[in-house]
Amino acid sequence: MLLSVDSVTKEFIAQHGKVLVLDKISLQIKPGEFVCFVGPSGCGKTTLLNLIAGLEQPTQGTIQKNGEKIAAPGSDRVVIFQEAALFPWLNVIQNVEFGLVGRMEAQKRREIARALLNLVHLGRFEKAYVHQLSGGMKSRVAIARALALNPSVLLMDEPFAALDAQTRDILHEEIEEIWTKTKQTIIFVTHNVREAVRLGNRVFVFTARPGQIKKEFQIDLPRPRDTNSEAVVAYAKLIQQELREEIEKFLKEEVDHEWTLKKTDLLRPAGIDLGSGI
Amino acid sequence: MIWEAVFRLGVWPPYLFPSPEEVAKALLSGFQDRSFLIGMGVSIQRILIGYFISLVFGVILGILIGRFKLLDETVGSLITGLQVLPSICWLPLAILWFGLNEQAIQFVIIMGAFFSIAIATDSGIRNIPPIYLRAAKTMGIKGMDLYTRVIFPAALPSIATGMKLGWSFAWRSLMAGELIFVSVGLGHLLQTGRELNDMAQVMAVMITIMMVGLIFDRFIFAQFEKRLRRQWGMSN
Repeated sequence: MLLSVDSVTKEFIAQHGKVLVLDKISLQIKPGEFVCFVGPSGCGKTTLLNLIAGLEQPTQGTIQKNGEKIAAPGSDRVVIFQEAALFPWLNVIQNVEFGLVGRMEAQKRREIARALLNLVHLGRFEKAYVHQLSGGMKSRVAIARALALNPSVLLMDEPFAALDAQTRDILHEEIEEIWTKTKQTIIFVTHNVREAVRLGNRVFVFTARPGQIKKEFQIDLPRPRDTNSEAVVAYAKLIQQELREEIEKFLKEEVDHEWTLKKTDLLRPAGIDLGSGI
Repeated sequence: MIWEAVFRLGVWPPYLFPSPEEVAKALLSGFQDRSFLIGMGVSIQRILIGYFISLVFGVILGILIGRFKLLDETVGSLITGLQVLPSICWLPLAILWFGLNEQAIQFVIIMGAFFSIAIATDSGIRNIPPIYLRAAKTMGIKGMDLYTRVIFPAALPSIATGMKLGWSFAWRSLMAGELIFVSVGLGHLLQTGRELNDMAQVMAVMITIMMVGLIFDRFIFAQFEKRLRRQWGMSN
């Protein structure tokens, strides 16, 4: 077992007291898996990712990687954030090399970075500065930068959420291709159910806060997959049904206790006015 | 032109308001007999030493204040207070501490540049998006590497602004210091001009001081800022 999360609980201290974000979560991930976490906003899926990354520590329970407890962030568990978080003082290839500096000689580093930039189809942009790149290109550089470290698990925190649909489709294809080629273990956090089904081998559905695992889906569809194929849509519907209840719970808490989801596909009925007319 | 016109109108007597021609002559003779060059050399050397010291310590102190809350709460507000004080006000103290010598004037220069550099560094560090640090940490960067490879470069645009500001403060402090306190240097040449009642020399020295300031600003700080801006994409 590559990663094992063992009844992990996480509390945050907020102004009005403690907030329980994760409640005794347990799950296990094998090497080479592509796992997705989906759930309503605030369900703690990102928190769990941060715990695995070592950026935060669990309040209770343990997370182990290859039998060793995770105590701090490390290059074996690189995170790709939604904002790409590239360094603007470095150009593209220097960004990709960033984690390798000091680990190997400059020439070797450059070779690895070039190969990875080619893998994400940005070979021509190695000298470009970060601000010259589009959102999709930034995501690619972030992927190359993470892969350069050859992590045992790649943690992706809604990496494509800010991109337009077309760019996202292309990046789905590429990340699938990279996964097929390298069998890199990936944990992918998203609130987009289709994205999860499109990419993952296993999809964990989280409950609303406090986050627990509501259900686990095994997605045994052949690859390459298509976001709009019937099989993907069918799985997505199944998961959506599980999520619907949780989203309703979350909205009740957030919006109004009287309010319930209507039985339509609209997440928010057209008539609802959240005060936008003020 | 306006200058020449005002001179010809004769509002003020020539010994108080020299013609551009006379000032140019004074400028030329000042450079020919090397007194201006020597003055410039001495002043520039002084400022480089003082500025370099305040740069190093200012950046270090700024980083420490920006990173450690305890220091921020104690030293932070003190620094803001001290920055308001024109650095020439340190001269009497410096003279008592060090005597009428080079160290006293260095001290005044350092006090001029140090605080603004420290404050700019501190604010630069505060404004670093936390995600840069998180990203670096997940790539296994820690300890000193985090400072040299992430925190410092991320704060550099703000530090550059502080450096420029610090330079102009240092230059002003130096001139003020040299005026008050006898030694070779451009400020001293200005003072000599006054003592000899030689308005042309006074103006010629003023022009020289301006030029030196401008050259450093244009060719060093502006270039550095421009490079940073291009790299970060803050302007076209």
